Amino acid sequence: MDETFGNYSILGKAIPRVDARAKVTGQAKYAADIEVANMLWGQINRSPYAHARILNIDTSKAEALPGVKAVTTGKDFGGFKWGWSGPTRDEEPLAVEKVRYQYEGVAAVAAVDEDTAQEACDLIEVDYEPLPGVFTPSEAMQEGAPLVHDDRPGNICVEYHWNFGDVDKAFAESYLVREDTFQTPRMAKGYLEPPAVVAYWPDPERIVYIGAKGSPYFPYRILAKCFDLPLSNVRIITPIIGSDFGGTKNDMTPADFSAVMLAKKTGRPVKFVTSQFDALTTDLRRHPMWITVKTGVTKDGILKATSLKAVADGGAYTRISPLTMFLVGTCQTLPYKLPNFKYDAYNYFTNNPSSAAMRGHGLYHSRFAADVQLDMIAEELGLDPVEIRLKNSIENPKPGEIYETVNDVHVATCGVQECIEKVAEAVNWKARKGQKKVEGDTAYGMGFAAATYNSGTKLSAHNACAAIVRVCEDGSVNYLTGATDVGQGSDTIMSAIVAEVLGIRLEDIDLKRVDSAFTPVDPGSYGSRVTVHAGEAATKAAEDAKSQLLEVAAQQFGVKPGDVDIKDKKVFVKSSPERNMAWERLVRIACYETPGKVIIGRGYSTQGISMYGLADFSKGVGDIGTNYSFTAQASEVEVDVETGVVKCTDNNVIAHDCGFPLNTQAVETQVQGGSYHQGISAAVYEEFKMDSGQTLNPNLVDYKRPRAYEAPMTQVIHVITNDPYGPFGAKEASEGSCCSAPPSIVSAIHDATGVWIKDLPAQPEKVFWALKKKREKGQK
Amino acid sequence: MIAAFEYFAPKTVREALSLLAKYKEEAKIIAGGQSMLVVMKQRLLTPEYLIDLKGITDLDYIKYDEGKGLRIGALTIHRAIEKSPVIQKHFGVLSEMEGNLATIQTRNWGTIGGNICHGDPAGDPAPVLIALKAKLKLASSAGERIVEAEEFSKDYLEVALEPNEMLTEIQVPTPPAHTGTAYEKLMVMKGDMSIIGAAVSITLDSKGGCGDARIALSNAASVPLRAKKAEKLLIGKTINNGLLTKAGEVASTEATPPADVHGSIEYRREMVKVFVKRVAQLALERAKAA
Ligand SMILES: Cc1cc2nc3c(=O)[nH]c(=O)nc-3n(C[C@H](O)[C@H](O)[C@H](O)COP(=O)(O)OP(=O)(O)OC[C@H]3O[C@@H](n4cnc5c(N)ncnc54)[C@H](O)[C@@H]3O)c2cc1C
Repeated sequence: MDETFGNYSILGKAIPRVDARAKVTGQAKYAADIEVANMLWGQINRSPYAHARILNIDTSKAEALPGVKAVTTGKDFGGFKWGWSGPTRDEEPLAVEKVRYQYEGVAAVAAVDEDTAQEACDLIEVDYEPLPGVFTPSEAMQEGAPLVHDDRPGNICVEYHWNFGDVDKAFAESYLVREDTFQTPRMAKGYLEPPAVVAYWPDPERIVYIGAKGSPYFPYRILAKCFDLPLSNVRIITPIIGSDFGGTKNDMTPADFSAVMLAKKTGRPVKFVTSQFDALTTDLRRHPMWITVKTGVTKDGILKATSLKAVADGGAYTRISPLTMFLVGTCQTLPYKLPNFKYDAYNYFTNNPSSAAMRGHGLYHSRFAADVQLDMIAEELGLDPVEIRLKNSIENPKPGEIYETVNDVHVATCGVQECIEKVAEAVNWKARKGQKKVEGDTAYGMGFAAATYNSGTKLSAHNACAAIVRVCEDGSVNYLTGATDVGQGSDTIMSAIVAEVLGIRLEDIDLKRVDSAFTPVDPGSYGSRVTVHAGEAATKAAEDAKSQLLEVAAQQFGVKPGDVDIKDKKVFVKSSPERNMAWERLVRIACYETPGKVIIGRGYSTQGISMYGLADFSKGVGDIGTNYSFTAQASEVEVDVETGVVKCTDNNVIAHDCGFPLNTQAVETQVQGGSYHQGISAAVYEEFKMDSGQTLNPNLVDYKRPRAYEAPMTQVIHVITNDPYGPFGAKEASEGSCCSAPPSIVSAIHDATGVWIKDLPAQPEKVFWALKKKREKGQK
Repeated sequence: MIAAFEYFAPKTVREALSLLAKYKEEAKIIAGGQSMLVVMKQRLLTPEYLIDLKGITDLDYIKYDEGKGLRIGALTIHRAIEKSPVIQKHFGVLSEMEGNLATIQTRNWGTIGGNICHGDPAGDPAPVLIALKAKLKLASSAGERIVEAEEFSKDYLEVALEPNEMLTEIQVPTPPAHTGTAYEKLMVMKGDMSIIGAAVSITLDSKGGCGDARIALSNAASVPLRAKKAEKLLIGKTINNGLLTKAGEVASTEATPPADVHGSIEYRREMVKVFVKRVAQLALERAKAA
């Protein structure tokens, strides 16, 4: 790294969030807060059956109810189907012939208030012919099993078979080969703000849609197709978003389509706010997955080969499952060197609510399985968990060099070794050995894990982010971005990048959130892509504006544009800084004296497009990421050995290589809340329990999610690698560290008690029986 | 969506009782609404008339007198009991129990009377009150009567209240000397409803043996359950670890717990063993220290 690296005015420090004041004072407007004149309220009529043919829908009683202004059913959409990509368009806005999961939307009502709309929904009579369903992959894969989609034989949603190197030969040559099956549960995404939308038609040719969407250009494209309008006439406005974590807020819901359809029918704005019950029963969930890992190692614990089989419950519709299954496999060759790798993926349709992306998308499942198994291998070989990780982890490539995996994944920077070493040192790993670990009925244990995540995700569609920097004549700046801050802090980062490049203050930047009438098109907030791609666009747009201003400054000082620069709101001649003028004066001169320049900087990202092309899902080769983050984590748990209750403690350290932390505070809080707490949640607490397609715990009392009491803190260590493909050296932050928590916690439980919990979450009863079994075995 | 109802907000007990006398089965009381609103939203109850007691300030009190013991008005909120210095000093177990009852928000709205009258066998106050030999004062326009806390629950969400009656007061006698009482429950997260809970009260005799014992379990049957066989095992003996383990095993055979997403019947039975043993141990230590 060169010596000037990291020496910035604003970036690389703790930057206060630009949206903090509005949020804590309650001034921030979320979708559910939006009220417009003449507005109607909508409600959805949902199917009580998980699988049934729709024989007839009678809406007459609902329409006759006073206060009801319109009713819509799936037929109104004229056969329109949508989905993640062309071949996967298998879902209708409202079910027409068949419902495929419980509470799937069948009809919708707009009425003068919410209660009337609900009452009208209850008056809609739907005749169903209940059908036998499939509720687990093992049921779905049986011969002769009922089909979720009549045109999808075997209920197969996604299937991949990849093979790199020669795993069979490597297994034959291995000293030890282990095969274990792990299980990850169905989880809620965990946004506090359920989806909400207000839609209206300002004229018969134009839609305005204001909704809680993390990727607002999804509805932009989908609604244009659905209502057969040019994109120019679809206006998507994004209010403040109350978090996302992947899935539903990227995608469409029946309420999104119904709001627009009912607004069209009534000529009035229509609002839907999803209830917590509807969100917990119908919103997209993290895929339940069964992951079988077979791994061969040498006597010294060097990885020779891994064969991975993942079986997933995709739920009723395809949604983003092809990407999920790709992600489960692709990064298996990181963060450890793996010369031979085989992957078999099966994702089945079932009559459960659809599964989709969630933080740590895909990698979370396979990293959990493989990292826990690595500890099992270490135990068998008598190796230390830190030692086996250090031995196998990928070294940081020298500047200019690239590490290439067996499946053609390219890594320019990799701080995993440094992460492992720093964590081991911070928790005093060596000294822990042989320490007393039991106090009364409480056993203490510590576990270790390492992980990776792809950042700047690029898919086989539109990938670039774009930005516009508009310098106002008084020196203030509007920043127009297509990227959406869903809570991760991107509005702050984008503003900070623009201010840094222009040489002005953070407060001078006024960021305009997405309004597709004015802001540039953008893929969306998913796949840890915003900082990398939108950050590059921000840099370029700011540089463009700056170069226009430097030209004016050079004229004023009678030098060349390359001889002047701007810092701390002063433009100056580099060779004699006493020749300078204030930023505001420069802007005023540019706008008034030249005469009348309009300073608009533009930029779009290219790193995600140019580097190594795109990944091939069916073959499993290539980069999904523009660059890759790395993490190591040590977690301590306390286990009540009599009850099976597991608690995570403050004795936790996460070292994270996000390239360069643009906002140290944001990285730390994301790692604490978004990684450690969400990781604890996945490891110990959260799971939807199901019975034949019915969710048994659709409320936040029975669906356990830790609150402040159960959320200990973690120490965060920054490991800086300065990646060449990210803005200012940055890579993604905290999705990777979300993947290291579950394996480190499960290994900690083993360290404390000697039992391996291979099936998440480690809820008390599960741990209790495992402990009892072990005790009984010990007595025999 | 809640079904329509007519709403009354009486200011006095007498007013409330005359409304109850008038509408009987068609009326329901609402206090803090923490349970009632859930039940109404789910349409498990659709009362024609709703009588809101929150305005009856006369029933919001905590009084203590060494001779008469503790008196708590039915409309006292959980948080007030948790924070009451008098309760902390003389009936610490009640305050401890309240500290793990739901969230602060719920404790700030929910009342002790509403909790008991809701009749949820997983509720925390009832087993503690049973262990403390508490009594309940019920009132109707015809007069008042006193029932043992232990006799109050009849079945799952069913209590011994006539349609024209309401609960007005909880009476807790001052325990005899050398008594220790404790309550703990199995929670996954702080403030969870009990997966299994145990309240144990132990009174030591002059020789340090167990003069009296009461064991009451939460979420171990369709009502708060007194584990009488387990109590019998302890009374008259010198308590040691082996005896407490046995008491837990016996209590476990008395329990008929439910199964739900938080635990199977078998697991809950195992947890009865653990919690009876643990809580009795704590009660014993307290009795020794008292
Ligand atoms: C999220 C959550 C978590 C909870 N966790 C716990 C927990 O951990 N432990 C626990 O014990 N409880 C728990 N509860 C239950 C709750 O604390 C009590 O049930 C609640 O306090 C009841 O009091 P209330 O004043 O709100 O009663 P309401 O809901 O108003 O009434 C409950 C019932 O009692 C009747 N009623 C109320 N007052 C009287 C009266 N004076 N006379 C006659 N009938 C009356 C009503 O008609 C109704 O049937 C929880 C509740 C929630 C919402």
